[in-house]
Amino acid sequence: MRLSLGAGAIAVLIAALSVRCGLSADSSQLSLPDVIVTAAPGYQPLAALSGKERFPKGAQLLLVHNGSAEPLASQLWASADANVSFDGQRVLFAGKQKQTDHWQIWEMTLRGRSLRLLYAGSDDAIRPMYLSSGQFFFAQRTAPGFQIVVAGTQSGDPFAPIDSNASAKLLPITYLPASAIPDDVLLDGRILFESYFPLGSGTTPEEFLVYADGSGVESYRCDHGRARWGGHQLASGDVIFTHGTSLARFTSPLAHEAPVAAPHGEYAGAIAETQSGEWLVSTRPDAQAHFALRLVTPGAAGMRTVFSRSDRDLIEPVLVAQRARPHRHPSALHPWNYANMLSLDSRLSREGDLKTAPASVRLETLDPQGRIRSNGTAPVESDGSFFVQVPGDRPIRFVLLDRNGKAVRQERGWFWIRAGEQRICVGCHTGPECASENRVPAVLMRTTTPFDLTNAKPATQTQASRGN
Amino acid sequence: MSSVLTNTRKLPHRLAVAALAVCGSCLVGLSSLVPATHAAQDENGIETYISPLEIVVSPDGARLYVLCQDAREVRVLDAATHALIKSIAVGQVPRGIALSRSGDRLYVTNSWDDTLSVIDTHQLTVVATWAVGAEPSGVVSDPDGKQIFVANRISNDVAVLNARTGAEEKRLKAGRGASYLVLSPDGSRIYATHVYPNPSPLRTGLENRTPPQSEITVIDAARAQVVDRIPLKSIAGVFHLAFSPDGRLGAVAEYHPKNMIPLAHLEHGGAFAYTLTLFGADVGEPVEVPLDELERYASQPFGVAFTPDKRELYVSVAGSECVLAIDVQRLLQFVHSHPRPASNSFESDLAASGNYVVARIPVGANPRGIAVSRDGRSVFVANRLDDTISVIDTRSNRVVSMIALGDGKPPSAMRHGEQTFYTARYSFQGQIGCSSCHIDSTFDGITWNLEPDGFGRSIVDNKLLEDINGTEPYKWTGTNPSVAIECGPRTEKYFWRSEQYDDRTLADLSLYVLSLPPRPNRWRSPDGELTPAQERGKAIFERSVDTFKKPIPESNRCSYCHSGPKGTSQKIFDVGTRKPTDNTGLFKAPMLTNIVLTAPYLHDGSARSLEEIWTIYNPDDKHGRTNDLTKDELNDLIEYLRSR
Repeated sequence: MRLSLGAGAIAVLIAALSVRCGLSADSSQLSLPDVIVTAAPGYQPLAALSGKERFPKGAQLLLVHNGSAEPLASQLWASADANVSFDGQRVLFAGKQKQTDHWQIWEMTLRGRSLRLLYAGSDDAIRPMYLSSGQFFFAQRTAPGFQIVVAGTQSGDPFAPIDSNASAKLLPITYLPASAIPDDVLLDGRILFESYFPLGSGTTPEEFLVYADGSGVESYRCDHGRARWGGHQLASGDVIFTHGTSLARFTSPLAHEAPVAAPHGEYAGAIAETQSGEWLVSTRPDAQAHFALRLVTPGAAGMRTVFSRSDRDLIEPVLVAQRARPHRHPSALHPWNYANMLSLDSRLSREGDLKTAPASVRLETLDPQGRIRSNGTAPVESDGSFFVQVPGDRPIRFVLLDRNGKAVRQERGWFWIRAGEQRICVGCHTGPECASENRVPAVLMRTTTPFDLTNAKPATQTQASRGN
Repeated sequence: MSSVLTNTRKLPHRLAVAALAVCGSCLVGLSSLVPATHAAQDENGIETYISPLEIVVSPDGARLYVLCQDAREVRVLDAATHALIKSIAVGQVPRGIALSRSGDRLYVTNSWDDTLSVIDTHQLTVVATWAVGAEPSGVVSDPDGKQIFVANRISNDVAVLNARTGAEEKRLKAGRGASYLVLSPDGSRIYATHVYPNPSPLRTGLENRTPPQSEITVIDAARAQVVDRIPLKSIAGVFHLAFSPDGRLGAVAEYHPKNMIPLAHLEHGGAFAYTLTLFGADVGEPVEVPLDELERYASQPFGVAFTPDKRELYVSVAGSECVLAIDVQRLLQFVHSHPRPASNSFESDLAASGNYVVARIPVGANPRGIAVSRDGRSVFVANRLDDTISVIDTRSNRVVSMIALGDGKPPSAMRHGEQTFYTARYSFQGQIGCSSCHIDSTFDGITWNLEPDGFGRSIVDNKLLEDINGTEPYKWTGTNPSVAIECGPRTEKYFWRSEQYDDRTLADLSLYVLSLPPRPNRWRSPDGELTPAQERGKAIFERSVDTFKKPIPESNRCSYCHSGPKGTSQKIFDVGTRKPTDNTGLFKAPMLTNIVLTAPYLHDGSARSLEEIWTIYNPDDKHGRTNDLTKDELNDLIEYLRSR
């Protein structure tokens, strides 16, 4: 849907919010490409994880060009969350035509400033991003929290315009009793998102991964502890993120995060990497100041202020430039309404291996009302393996039981398996650094038919009553 | 005696390849394909390339001897200036190269000629060509220059030759697909590896599937006797070995497949671990260490080389198109400071390599042979599929120069297809390529459980790719009508698990796969005549009545299902081999080209040998009428099959 505004009242409001001034003089002396940044009177980086508004006083995308900034979508009352297409020609963002609107998904061409509405739902839609399949995804507010949905059809051409009927084809890819907020698309095609750890039940912001068809959800790393958010993949393949007052990174050789030498400050989150390898970060010295855009040379002690506004937080910088295109994920989901899961050795865990094999495993699901249901138990083999059929597309978790039915280990959070997905887990929370041993799991020597755990029993308790 | 060669098979293979290349786009059903720029061509109009495979440095460090497989020559380069000194023609598909300890002699194995070229390094001429075993590969000379050891890939042994006369003195049993040899620094031992796993123990059902097993065969160089076999558990595909100069640490590059587990996804090393096994006094019990990382794999390690000061170990990684630099001190520290798993393997720890891999150095296409200069300052890497040699500075661990051996033109469609076959770049996080399972474009000798068939269901044996043109449909179940479909969307979805090549690259890959020629059959005489046993076996193969003069229904004769020049009617049959875990009992009659090489047999690899197809898995005579045969007659039938 193409927008033809011209509504004077809105334009006046926009002009008041986004003036062409107030930028640091440093910006003109730096040879930066054009940058799109979200300017907001106030910004709460983690609000969306709790289902709250990140920009309670509105926000506006600014295009920073040659040291001066101009509103990018002045027709709209609010705009935020810019994501530039792989060819650098278009920008996807969240916007509102009117103050009372929900956040919607918009796209604009950067050359002709042609604007069109891609998705407007019955509730907020934020953080849109392009996929290499020709589709896009965003976080859509639902009752339990923001969930990520993929929109549009696979064109096979990552540079082709998104189909105009994209909003009619929505595929939810997260199924959490909590919020999932997109952070980036990795070069391997997986979506990096932030949620709380333990997933679906915790309170610590953490980075997770999921394929673009919703399969394969997992923690990026399992050295959980400090809050991590605002993840962004660098050209090196490392993923940089913030703890709030410092930066850190995930790097392929390490199972734990690695510190990043960067100046002290409060970091808002999303980071942009320039072609010369510098980082455009959004920082402020303390909570009383506004976030400003600063340029950090990796390893250097200081940083240079690039753009600042005395009355605005400047956050979510993105470069207006071509960028590496992630791989497209070819979905291999089967046309089923259930999923299969094979655990190779449930005794294994980062929390300490169980000395003896559990006798059985109980599947718990969470219904839409937040009630925990038991779907029954399945036997666990002496080598710790089990093979079960579970309901797809809903929160699930496993509890390992001893011979007396007593829980010997249970997942603290929830995850899901997509309908039609066949998944293998090495152990129970073994961490991504743990590969499988090459042996046939005992359960497959006994049967190749998964134990059916798809039918939920009556609810026993709510998640809240369990205290998790 | 009669000839088994048909007119088709008498055609020079390279001419057939030319015809295939011309209509490559038709074969794969794709349109608008334009052949890429052609490189140099041979007399038949086929593009020719250099394909440097191995490198050795002369004892004085002044020369590089580069084994160029497709050019069928050894190129002698000045190590300092990289200038070409001379090209020396050798035989077909040369594979191994070694210098005598004095440096006076250079030995080159010609794997398709079954010969060894002996080169005088002063005159730079071939002074002798000796007949050796079947598909000679690795070669080393003993320290005294009295004997030469040659690893024969097809006959699975190491031949011991008299260095003066070339006469073969004995054969030593090695692992299956014996291929690479190294002499210990003190000259006392020769270590041999092999590219296919050794035969598995007898099994009668899938419940007895066992991980592949390989070995390092240790030979006493002076006595020319096998003195040890170091087991390599769960390894299928073992390549070069190297020793630290002090002889206290050996390292061998290898593949550790995860074939016993359903191939459901690639993350967390779902299909392969790529590892080194370390052995020697520095580590005590041999120990396996991974080269992979959490999100980046070291797909298909091949060459290994220590620096003279033992500070670093370099590993060429053919599928990942890079060289890994390993800090040896940190490697040993890791091995000794971490609790040793009961399996003596750290392969499942994807974070281990971060402790000792200090650089991942991008090089050219399909890096293979690797050699360190005598002063330890440079590492030379043979990039087989772009005709270059990368020179790495060991102080910076960066490529500082590239030696071009070819004409630098863009690759032809065929060459591009070959590059695609050997790279891991299209799979998720670069874990696998076609060549991970089709070693040197052949097979891997193991069975796999593919996810779409179901966990634990329809286990399938991996098959040889040579000579498959015209044998469609593909897959054991015959459900893929063409190579383009076999290697296209299906591969993307269930193997690569990531966005793969474009249509043109797929067409080039298909062209390459369909053009793979069959290697010479060592059980068939060059003139195509059959031995008496083979003649008798042929009669059994084609018979229409059994021993008791009862007619054999046409559909139950060997020659019915295995008809045609390649031994396949290309039709689907139920020969009674379905197992309880199979989704179907209908399988395409597999072709018979070089069937003798490709054990195990049957769709699920349950038969370890051709004999077992009938002695164990044909109780009801559904797989041909065979239960009336005497042992000798069955042997004759197998002798005939070996000639196919």
